[in-house]
Amino acid sequence: MSASPWKRRRFLSAGVSSAAATFSGCRRNQNPWRFFTLEEAFLVEQICQQLIPADQDAGGREAGVVNYIDRQLAGFHSRQQNLYRRGLVRVDEIARAMFQDRFTSLASERQVAVLEEAETKETAFFNAILAHAMQGFYGDPRHGGNRDYASWRMLGVPPRPVRGRQQYDLTRGRG
Amino acid sequence: MRFRLPGSRSARAALAVLILLLLLPGASWFYSSSGPAGKSCSRCHEIRPTYNLWVSSSHRGIDCEQCHGGALTLDAGFHLTNFHRLAVHVRGDAPDQVRLRNIDVPGMVERCRSCHRQEFAQWQSGPHSATYARIFVDKAHNRKRLLTDDCLRCHGMHFEGPIAALVTPLDTAGPWQLAKPEVAGWPAIPCLACHQVHRQGSPLLKTGAEGRVRGPEQERNRPSLALFDRRGLSHIDVSRLPLPVMLEGARVVKMSPDPRQALCYQCHAPEAGMQVGSGDDRTATGVHEGIGCLACHDRHGQKTRASCAHCHPRLSNCGLDVEKMDTTFRNPESRHNIHFVKCLDCHPKGVPRKKTPERL
Amino acid sequence: MALERVNAVVVGSGAGGGIVAKELAQAGLRVVLLERGSWVTAYDCRKDDLRNQRTTVLGNAFGPDDERHPRVVVDESGRERTLRASEPGYHNNAGCVGGGTASYGAMAWRFMEKDFRMRSTYGAVPGSTLEDWPLSYADLEPYYEKAEWEIGVSGDDAGNVFRAPRRRPLPMPPLPPNRECQVLRPAALRLGLHPFDIPMLRNSVPYNGRPACMRCRWCVGFACEVDAKCGTQNTVIPAALKTGNCELRCDCVAGQVLLDERGRAAGVAYFDARGRYREQPADLVVVSCAAIESARLLLNSRSRLFPKGLGNRHDWVGRNLQGHTYPRAAGLFDFELYDDQGPGAGIAVCDYNHGNPGLAGGGMLANEFIRLPYQFVAQVPRSAGRWGRGHKEFMRKWYRRSMSVMGPVQEMPMFDSRVEVDPVVKDHWGIPVARLSGGKHPHTLEVARYMAGKAEAWLKEAGAIHTWTVVPGPGLSGGQHQAGTCRMGGDPRTSVVNRYCQVHDVDNVFVIDGSVHVTNGGFNPVLTIMALAYYASAHLVKTWKGTRMRS
Repeated sequence: MSASPWKRRRFLSAGVSSAAATFSGCRRNQNPWRFFTLEEAFLVEQICQQLIPADQDAGGREAGVVNYIDRQLAGFHSRQQNLYRRGLVRVDEIARAMFQDRFTSLASERQVAVLEEAETKETAFFNAILAHAMQGFYGDPRHGGNRDYASWRMLGVPPRPVRGRQQYDLTRGRG
Repeated sequence: MRFRLPGSRSARAALAVLILLLLLPGASWFYSSSGPAGKSCSRCHEIRPTYNLWVSSSHRGIDCEQCHGGALTLDAGFHLTNFHRLAVHVRGDAPDQVRLRNIDVPGMVERCRSCHRQEFAQWQSGPHSATYARIFVDKAHNRKRLLTDDCLRCHGMHFEGPIAALVTPLDTAGPWQLAKPEVAGWPAIPCLACHQVHRQGSPLLKTGAEGRVRGPEQERNRPSLALFDRRGLSHIDVSRLPLPVMLEGARVVKMSPDPRQALCYQCHAPEAGMQVGSGDDRTATGVHEGIGCLACHDRHGQKTRASCAHCHPRLSNCGLDVEKMDTTFRNPESRHNIHFVKCLDCHPKGVPRKKTPERL
Repeated sequence: MALERVNAVVVGSGAGGGIVAKELAQAGLRVVLLERGSWVTAYDCRKDDLRNQRTTVLGNAFGPDDERHPRVVVDESGRERTLRASEPGYHNNAGCVGGGTASYGAMAWRFMEKDFRMRSTYGAVPGSTLEDWPLSYADLEPYYEKAEWEIGVSGDDAGNVFRAPRRRPLPMPPLPPNRECQVLRPAALRLGLHPFDIPMLRNSVPYNGRPACMRCRWCVGFACEVDAKCGTQNTVIPAALKTGNCELRCDCVAGQVLLDERGRAAGVAYFDARGRYREQPADLVVVSCAAIESARLLLNSRSRLFPKGLGNRHDWVGRNLQGHTYPRAAGLFDFELYDDQGPGAGIAVCDYNHGNPGLAGGGMLANEFIRLPYQFVAQVPRSAGRWGRGHKEFMRKWYRRSMSVMGPVQEMPMFDSRVEVDPVVKDHWGIPVARLSGGKHPHTLEVARYMAGKAEAWLKEAGAIHTWTVVPGPGLSGGQHQAGTCRMGGDPRTSVVNRYCQVHDVDNVFVIDGSVHVTNGGFNPVLTIMALAYYASAHLVKTWKGTRMRS
């Protein structure tokens, strides 16, 4: 019982704010991401596309890796938000220092060069985004990445194997 | 500082209920009437991906409201769900992908029925419409085999929770009962076990552009065919499911290439060794080898009797009436088990040679 | 509000505690079994390859949770870090009913005779506290057998000419070999090795009222969806509860063992599921929390008589923390090996457990469990790059055409590899957390390099067109095979418990888990923990006299 007043208050406040939201329209309408800004999301997408490039099979972008990362940064990996915020800025700084342009405007080979630089200079951030990109690409689609089982199809792993069970009868024999 | 409404506890409660009663349908109505008719849901960006899929799906001609209910419905659950959605939205922790809650799935059967009456009737008369009560508290089954979480892979895939939360006790002694009696009447394999609605595809055409009736190709590639994967809480399109290479000993069994069978094989599956007849496998070998599941089995009712006559007219050369044979797979002693019957089963002394093969 | 006195409190429901609870309850003792986690089922991870007990990048599926169970780890350079439970380096086991046995790979090894006599066999190893066990293989043999039949083991070690004598064969046949095993077996025979089917705590046929393995690829790190994997949660714990003498209390975190004024244990103080402080009085206390947490519990049980922690008069509690060093060889083949038949591991050799020239000990070698796609990412050799075109190309080309052979190298115990309690960091309940420090003995790494070479030779013989080896670094071992922190021995000055797992100074406190292992064998330790639990329980029941031990 001790929790009920608090619950009721939350219920009421949610109700009031819901109604307000309904009539005032949606604030976040422009940005579909949970954590990233639109620019950041684009940058992350470009980085992931270099970490896992598209060839005859889907790359990081097609597999929705940025969606996985965005979702985890708003959830399980939320401790790494600052690492990302700073790291993404640093990647752009490296790009400007090397090629006088933003990362997202560079040609593919130059992007690779920038990432190679970031791998040694921004190790913590690079390792984080690399690990997350691999998780988003090769991990289970339920977490927002590996769209349409892109990587598992590439590897030849069915999302669900054909697997039946023995028609045993426990009333007979041992056991 | 604590925010308090004046008046007694019950008066405050009544006031809250009144506000809810007015607020919810009102908000819903405002919301739904402010967009293009039947499509206002798309204003909500969380719903948009699902909406976009619907726009390009074979159900594109049916408005959201026809399946999901409308603002003026008397279904309190609908309004409460909307209320919950808004609260979630405002808190900013909306799910990554909006999807039907598992608990709403059994109810969808009725929505599907409103259009697909024939399919529904067939399904209802067939084994795939068995209820939770029929599947999970079956004494004959439970005495012999232990209920496990894996059972829910193929029946009750929309149940939220482990098998331990569905049936008690989990042993072979019983007596068993459903831990949640309200699910007793739910279908264990509802429409959404094998179909998804929000899926790219064209509406079924009675005739093609050239004016002719479309062949079986269209039927084989129905866009809605997909398996509900309980683990990932999503559908896996039939084209992503493996059609296995089945073995009889070391021999690879000839199989129909019908892609729809990949769906059947997910549950009527062999054991890991991929041997025909192992586990729940029913791959046809012997005289019927190479014939696909759906060549004989009615798609929703699984009935087969009518299909025998297609190939075996009553007055056949051998004088056998196949419709009177015991062809069931249920009887392991049956010599005519239709999935495995071989020439030698009826001709133990040797199969007679065909007399005039050149004329065939 | 005092709780009713019981005969025994068992802290931890894993491989050791589950068995002890059942043995005591069946002998008529009233038992309370405390577990820090809860009952878990396959539904708690649903074959999620990013959140299970082996790949924990999105958390531990079977506990402990990240929020409430920090640990401090000091690395080789002296850097101190406070880690969450799912982070690498935490040396997690599991926090749920059944402990690690609910989600393990389930290899069921008996140690070999020499594994109990490492010091006599190899002499002193400088820098290591290598010692013999105070008991022999023959003492444990009947209890190994009991574990194999009660919990359930499948496999066939008849081909293992090095195995210690056994009276009874395993209760279940092995699973049919997968493609890797089919390739590795003839190769081993050509090399003159002695391959055999790994004993596994996994039903290959219906057994003990549960079905057989259906051979899916989600095995080690996952709870079994058909309940074919045998742990204490689906065998002895239900049996214990069935006696009516055992009460299982989940989500209860033990803080310390309570002592009376005469220095005997009076019970256990713990925090219950609602976070309330409780004291459970008992005639005897069994500590079965796995090597790190058992040591932590004893060290946190300070009193006037034991200012440095219970049983820690001579500073041996928490010492000799060890696990296993796993050298690995990987090979690429020009034919497909992946056949999607779990659990994957199936074939092993014990030719290198002992008798390696100039080396103390060794380990078994076996093929690896199925590598899920994300797990394979880290196995790509550095030469292919960590990312970019090369990495992806490697994944695509070799995922289905590669395999690994690896084995647990028996470690040389290190006095300075240890568990302490951290002076500052406390967990959610205010209990000082474990603080881990130390590393591996150089000889352990030498053996590991040798074993990696042997694994590589096996793969080459099997037809690998390219091979490489991976040997772990010198950092601390522990993890799921954690052991050694409450060493058993005859001398109270150099050990913590006697041969019956009874704390030297306090005769009604027992430590029954991997903590008591003097050395950890060249094998996965779980069956030995189970055998020890049966062995120690048998002694305990025999000496039990009403409400106290016979002295």
